[in-house]
Amino acid sequence: MAINAKTWRLSGTALLTVWAPLAAFPFLWMFLMSMRSPVDAFAFPPKLFADITFEHFYTVWIVDGFWVNALNTVVVTVGVMAVSLTIGCLAGYALSRYRGSVGFWLLLVALIFRAMPHVVLLTAYKPAFFELGIWNRYETLIIVLVAINQPFTIWMLRSFFANIPSELDEAALVDGCSRIKAFIKVIMPVMWPGVITTGLFSFLLAYNDFLITSQLMDGDHMTMTAALGNYIYSDDNLTKVLEGVAGAVSVTIPLIFLVLFFQKQLVGGLVQGAVKG
Amino acid sequence: MKFKTFALFVGPSVLAMLALIALPLVGVTYISLYSSSVKTEIVEVKTQVPVFAGVVQEVVTKVPQPVLDENGNPVKSWDYVGLGNIESVLATDQIADAIASDNTVDESVGTIDNLINMYYEIVDVDFWAALEFTLLYTLITLPAVLALGFLLAMSVHRAANKHFKGSLIFATLLPMIVTPLVGSLSIYWLFLDNGVMSSLLQMLGLGKVYFLKDAFSIRSLIILYGIWSTTPFAFIIFYAGLQTVAQDSLEAANLDGATPWQQTRYVILPHLAPLMIFVSMIHVMDAYRIFEPVLVFGSNLFANSLQYLTYHTLYFEDNFNKAAASAVLTVIGVAILLIPAVIRNWREHKRGH
Repeated sequence: MAINAKTWRLSGTALLTVWAPLAAFPFLWMFLMSMRSPVDAFAFPPKLFADITFEHFYTVWIVDGFWVNALNTVVVTVGVMAVSLTIGCLAGYALSRYRGSVGFWLLLVALIFRAMPHVVLLTAYKPAFFELGIWNRYETLIIVLVAINQPFTIWMLRSFFANIPSELDEAALVDGCSRIKAFIKVIMPVMWPGVITTGLFSFLLAYNDFLITSQLMDGDHMTMTAALGNYIYSDDNLTKVLEGVAGAVSVTIPLIFLVLFFQKQLVGGLVQGAVKG
Repeated sequence: MKFKTFALFVGPSVLAMLALIALPLVGVTYISLYSSSVKTEIVEVKTQVPVFAGVVQEVVTKVPQPVLDENGNPVKSWDYVGLGNIESVLATDQIADAIASDNTVDESVGTIDNLINMYYEIVDVDFWAALEFTLLYTLITLPAVLALGFLLAMSVHRAANKHFKGSLIFATLLPMIVTPLVGSLSIYWLFLDNGVMSSLLQMLGLGKVYFLKDAFSIRSLIILYGIWSTTPFAFIIFYAGLQTVAQDSLEAANLDGATPWQQTRYVILPHLAPLMIFVSMIHVMDAYRIFEPVLVFGSNLFANSLQYLTYHTLYFEDNFNKAAASAVLTVIGVAILLIPAVIRNWREHKRGH
């Protein structure tokens, strides 16, 4: 029995020691490649140590103008987070307090919307936005990403608001506050953990989106992720491949910091969805 | 809360979803019923062709030209075709032929071979190939993700060292959080012809493997990416679930002499069952929308997915109507997949949650 428990635990540790390097290896190798000349990056046999060069980062950021895409990323992600959280908090709060069945139907429809493949919506956006002449604009992209993200946002925010006791806002209402004042003055100040977690997921959606952004925006207006599309399908030119690697590393670094600083909130947000349904 | 206040609060959010999700769905259905084409006419074009020493011959050729309106823009025609686009995406004629011809095929080959032939003829059509790989991807990754996620959660749960736990959760979180395009590329670059994996295999004496030249290895790599990038989600959910296993029942099982396997089988797994269902539902929905790895690895030559097929029709073929038709078919699939989720929510609602 004791031996059995011990082997049990040992095999678990063995699994973890195999899994962790495997999970991290693609990233580690990408980081190594981004700082090497083509000869070293694709050497046979593969090298663990080689001369370091920042040439590819220079080409991508300065010559190819990746810095413009980085600024676009800031504009789009900040815009999406701000709008998404504002309208999402209003809706999430109302959904957590309203007792009628309309709320349930709204959430159910939102669930169906959440499962929609984005390309379905894109097929309609393309001709419509072209007709309306609102093609290739930050506002358009931001509002589209906000709408796509709303179903998820209101589900998540609703469950955070539901954790705040409704006695709190009822007391404020009794004291003569209007509903909106109670929401802003009493509820929002205790909602920050929920807002931060949901904001992280809104950020990730806007930051990670390739499909919609690359199709709705031109080169100068694209985010970093969408701009990476310029480097795929270029396997014949190894220098170009390594520039793509440098671009991908540039996209990954902010995410690493995000995970480092907000690991708890990210895990908490994922678990919230599972426990609350 | 009164309904009026409720309506005001949810208003902006509902408006955004109506305008940019519900309306586009209606729009896509509408577009799929029509066919657009540029009107063309046959125009006689006269060109001067030099023949010999300054002698010029006039040649008249008949060339199709777009009809232009008074502003010089091509005239487009917009015709109602009903289910025509959907039929052409499904390639109903071709499928019907495939099935009909196989019924009459010579019997020397055997029924199973006939069925296999029929299958190959069906997946020759882009849509059915996309559906085939989407389903294949879902069916293979789902059990792998559940099993691996569970084993990892159990191992981390039992690991004593706290520091170890923290860095492990960090390493595991990254493949899930990272941009899917970057994640797919990071795997793709490992398997380039002169990339690190091919070189390592060659060093081990396995010969040169061209991973990206063969449908089987490309499909395997996409599935590998799928497992790598979605296992963390299952792991985190199961890990959280393990924290809430009642310690009393575990201790009681222990006192009764239950082996670790029995404890897992009869105490832990039943406790995690609802979470397993939750993870499966989310995974199936996400697997159905798989896009980035197919874009990076497959193009549509080696592997295709439903979402990629619509993208390809829209972007490379520039055919809105056909893209809309395959989008509509995709939505029908989503509706079928959502039935269990909707039923689950409906039951909870009835129970008064």
